[in-house]
Amino acid sequence: MSEAPDLSEAEALAAEHALGVLNARERADAETRMAQDPAFAADVEAWRQRLAPMLDSVKAIPPPSDTWARIERLLPANDNTLANRVRFWRNSAMGGFGLAAAGIVAAVVVAAQGPQIVTQEVPVQPQGQLLSASVVSQDTRVQPLFVAAYDPDRKQLIVTSLLPEGSERDKVHQLWLIAGQENPKSLGLVESGKAKVIALPAELLAKMSEGAALAVSLEPPGGSKNPDGPSGPVIGVGKLSRL
Amino acid sequence: MAAVATSSESLNPLMARIAEGDRGALRQLYEATSAKLFGVCLRILSDREESEDVLQDVYVTIWRRADRFDASRASVMTWVSTIARNRAIDRLRARGPMAYAEPVEELEIPDGSESAEALLSAADDRNRLSHCLGELDDRTEKVIRTAFFEGVTYEALARRMDAPLGTVKSWIRRGLAKLKGCLQS
Repeated sequence: MSEAPDLSEAEALAAEHALGVLNARERADAETRMAQDPAFAADVEAWRQRLAPMLDSVKAIPPPSDTWARIERLLPANDNTLANRVRFWRNSAMGGFGLAAAGIVAAVVVAAQGPQIVTQEVPVQPQGQLLSASVVSQDTRVQPLFVAAYDPDRKQLIVTSLLPEGSERDKVHQLWLIAGQENPKSLGLVESGKAKVIALPAELLAKMSEGAALAVSLEPPGGSKNPDGPSGPVIGVGKLSRL
Repeated sequence: MAAVATSSESLNPLMARIAEGDRGALRQLYEATSAKLFGVCLRILSDREESEDVLQDVYVTIWRRADRFDASRASVMTWVSTIARNRAIDRLRARGPMAYAEPVEELEIPDGSESAEALLSAADDRNRLSHCLGELDDRTEKVIRTAFFEGVTYEALARRMDAPLGTVKSWIRRGLAKLKGCLQS
């Protein structure tokens, strides 16, 4: 093999992370960086792809026949109703306004009734688990609008807006944590194109578990006037999951 | 496992349905992929009971994360295999430092040379990677394969190989750079 040029420092780190040689602290840092730096995240993904064929050589061995039944019992009763929940929210928050109108109307939209959140109990994971979420557009279901990484050791959430800077104009983006059956908890405003480190208060730390979700709503300057949830349309949502 | 059942064409539509909460789709994905993923867990953990536990965790994870699968970035098979590998390695790491007591030289390393059938499809990804890993010097190849299948950190590798941390790091980094060059050529 001819001599290959050295990998850049960033790519070497991405490759090391994909390979699995980093220690716990370095892994956490790499995950945080993935949430903040899409180019780095793409490098890690590309390395995972490069190395994954090593798994192809592993022999397939059928698991015991009762495994599926056990998996089915473990599935959260209705874990994937998040989209429905958010749709419900949006409907209740938007009232008679169409979505297109929401983009233009700068007035404060106050929901006639507080949003009702229809959820199932989300099992609480032990603390100390790194989590991440990709908040994707509610319309396309694909385009990521925000990425977030939760670092339990530092008790902080790092959120990066992938929207072009200044794109919110007379609106602001408000981040919410949706956990279990409780009302959404505001995590504050996130500026377009900016990354933000959010120090989480103790009462929110316990809610940062796999299956909980982050959502972003479009709000008037200063944020939602509704203390119990968004007042404007929810533009994106993403579940927190282990890395 | 029939080849057609694990093709992207047949698995991609399942992922969208799983993301919508369709258990039937998860069941179909399970039928198509569970033997492979169980094999991956067993390869990493060498323990049936633990592998069964991890396999369950893997499908619950797939259920929860299906909305994050991006067909433009990974094939379904690669995506689910990577989850299985990561979960199995998490479990291995949870066993504690004893799991890393084995010296690298004594590890059983698959040599990548397989059936005649596999050799016939020399153009596929696996064989390209196998070929490129084979182009590395033996020590580097072993270290990379060991790290991949066991999630052994640099620190643990250095202890196992009785070599300075910086040296092990530069072997791997150089190996990875060569690997990339070879895969691109």
